Amino acid sequence: MTATRHRLRALLTLTYLNGVLPIRTQPLYLINVVASPLSFLFFIVIASNSRLLAYGLGGGMLMTMLSIGTSLQTDISHYRQDLKLQDVVVASPVEAWVYVAGIALSELVYSLPGLGVFVALWAYYGSVGVVGPLTLVAGLSVAVVLIVVWAFASALGFTLATFLQDVRETFVFSGIISLGLSVLPPVYYPIQSLPGVLVPLAYASPTTYAADLLHRAFGQPAIPGVSPAMDWLVVIGFSVVLLGLAAWKARWREP
Amino acid sequence: MSPPALRARALGKRYPAGNVALQDVDLEVPAGQVFGLIGRNGAGKTTFVRIAGTQLTPTSGSLEVLGLDVLRQTGELRTRIASVPQESRPLYFVNVDELVYLYLRMRGMERADARHRTDAALEELGLTQVRRRMVNQLSGGMRRRAMVAMILASDAELLFLDEPTTGLDPMARREVWGAIRRIEREGRTIVLTTHYLDEAEALSTRLAVIDGGRVLLQGTPADLRARIRRPYRVTVQGGLTRADIDSFGDVSEIAGGFLVFATEADARELALRAMRAGAHVAMGPASLEDIFLQVVGRRIDEDDAAAPEAA
Repeated sequence: MTATRHRLRALLTLTYLNGVLPIRTQPLYLINVVASPLSFLFFIVIASNSRLLAYGLGGGMLMTMLSIGTSLQTDISHYRQDLKLQDVVVASPVEAWVYVAGIALSELVYSLPGLGVFVALWAYYGSVGVVGPLTLVAGLSVAVVLIVVWAFASALGFTLATFLQDVRETFVFSGIISLGLSVLPPVYYPIQSLPGVLVPLAYASPTTYAADLLHRAFGQPAIPGVSPAMDWLVVIGFSVVLLGLAAWKARWREP
Repeated sequence: MSPPALRARALGKRYPAGNVALQDVDLEVPAGQVFGLIGRNGAGKTTFVRIAGTQLTPTSGSLEVLGLDVLRQTGELRTRIASVPQESRPLYFVNVDELVYLYLRMRGMERADARHRTDAALEELGLTQVRRRMVNQLSGGMRRRAMVAMILASDAELLFLDEPTTGLDPMARREVWGAIRRIEREGRTIVLTTHYLDEAEALSTRLAVIDGGRVLLQGTPADLRARIRRPYRVTVQGGLTRADIDSFGDVSEIAGGFLVFATEADARELALRAMRAGAHVAMGPASLEDIFLQVVGRRIDEDDAAAPEAA
């Protein structure tokens, strides 16, 4: 019982430390978190004459969650290599998974205001009939999808951080992740808009299935031939694999 | 007699790239004392401390810390130790108070205890005046002091301080020394690595000299002195030539004269002869720096490009 309380205390302390205190120092972080997804939304709404607004909203939410992976990758790497703070934490009662979960949770806290903007837009455009309405069921469905995406983005970010020799290398992975998980998959547009040659690649990305679940919640057409059960299976399966990989790669003690 | 805080047997570390950082290290650190680990840059001090702090895996030998196997009983061990690495720096977005307090909370400490210990540590290390200042507004020395305060505020039984006073001014060093002595008085153990020999001598009950990944000498300062061949130093300025002195011991030239390391008998005789010749003479036991020079063959601040350690 005491051990559980200590773990929870460490988890919440790390969340507060890495998720709340940086915002106090630099509030512009909050704008930065939401700037890229909102920019995409802006272009999509302008270019499609508001026809693809629902895709822009879903894409923005997913991109915000996926960016957590990149942030976590940078933070973990920075604390380990530049500040040597991971060594301080290793020589303490804080377990590896509590540390990673605390940092991941802090990145989520950091992203909540950004997500709030998209939820507010959904509530508004849903109420005027431009997208599907924000109901309890739709809201819960979207929340669960985003939590699963947060888990796999965090696991991916952590796994990649274990390969980095220097924090600068974060940029090597962030572009590739962005391409593979939020640009190429039909996150911001219907899959039918993709050139035929890219469709198989889109089907290979787990984000496609997460996006399909969101698009359904927003009342948009589903991906042909893909059921919600299949969406969930792929998204959860991918998360489990990535979490397993992260646990396998986690080395609290250097070899 | 209580079991040692740390016992290494034939401990070795070879990094994946092939460089050997530690070789057959046998070391015993008694509980409740300050143990100084001294050596040049790259000697293997940090590697040893990182293995003992459960941050690095040894490649051979065994190591028990607080009676626990460092590889097999890691979880329990980590609840009883704390470490401040050599090049660690605080997060820039916290203030000094938060740095210490949140570290203690992260270790699982109750709110009131963490608050009390934070206040005491900041007071002890002269940081109370800057407790609300963000760490990125502090000098390098102040940041280092804040990191040390964080560890010294903990309730760990064994603390690893890797070069804790690097970059501190003399006053700040004394404050850190005071805190280290307080921890020792509380019956806790500190493993201190330093290349400041005055610091090692002032604080350590026992010491080990490490070079090239091997422990060359260990014991109390008196033990170390007793184990070297020429445990006395004599400085002679004027009156005698090098030829007059050479037979008394190891002679080196210093500004305006000679420095001689000799046995006690030879040192006395040389001092008498030099006084009779009208020279300025000073005689005394070898300092830790002298011992280091005799044992390692180089000064502690001399770098060795061929040093085998990377960490």
